[in-house]
Amino acid sequence: MALLHSLLKLLDRVSPATTAYAHCDIPCGIYDPHHAQLAAHTVIRMVDLIGQLEKPGPNATGDQRQEFVNKLARYVATKEQHAEIFKSEVRILWADYFKPEHVQQYPQLHDLVWKALKSGSKGRQEINLAAAEEMLKHANEIAMIFWKTKGVPTHAAKAPYPTGRETVYPNIA
Amino acid sequence: MFPLARFRVEERSMSPDLEPGDYVIVNRWAYRRRDPAVGELVVFRDPQRAGRYLCKRIADVRGDGMYTVRGDNEAISRDSRSFGPVPRGAIVGKVWRAERGRRGAVGPESPF
Repeated sequence: MALLHSLLKLLDRVSPATTAYAHCDIPCGIYDPHHAQLAAHTVIRMVDLIGQLEKPGPNATGDQRQEFVNKLARYVATKEQHAEIFKSEVRILWADYFKPEHVQQYPQLHDLVWKALKSGSKGRQEINLAAAEEMLKHANEIAMIFWKTKGVPTHAAKAPYPTGRETVYPNIA
Repeated sequence: MFPLARFRVEERSMSPDLEPGDYVIVNRWAYRRRDPAVGELVVFRDPQRAGRYLCKRIADVRGDGMYTVRGDNEAISRDSRSFGPVPRGAIVGKVWRAERGRRGAVGPESPF
């Protein structure tokens, strides 16, 4: 009866009803830590490419300088973008996917997310291979917990990209 | 103790019988003279999180005062399959009525 519902709603304003959860565990969207891992790989790759860029010497021509600046600008822009994607993806997993039960089970999760975001900022600000590798390391640790909460076993393998770093993959048959 | 308690439903493991935003009125005296029975909707304390209440259906009555609970949508429900059977003492009461908003009350075909 809609009338009784309205009455209960009114009563709710005076003193809110306790919530009874018809709890579901399925994420309402689709989540995957792979985005964060992939973004970390891109940041590593951009740092590598920037390192390999030949810096124009004192006798470089205008054209050579322009070419250098163009390449550098493109690598830096891509690094900025993907470090930001990394941070955004980590935040999504943290805020939307992980639940209080997961944190009880993996108490290191908050600290891990915090460190991942810090490394993401550092990887974005600096041309710093250690920071970029740190991003991937944290993304892998988050991925391991993520797949555990889904009961999916994982393995670490070298990524089939030029970066080639160890990456955590789910064993999905 | 007043026999009726109000709860507001969140999440969808009991859909379509209970949808988020529905109110349920729970009879806390329902099991004074008898035991919970299979198929009944109950509100109980979440064994995995203090202070939180869950609403599920009794799926099995065990001899030792323990009850197996299930969500109607098994594929997405967190229930006894993950936290095991629920002791009688954790059950607050039986859902007596469920009230839905504009879309009308829960239909008479509802099994509770």
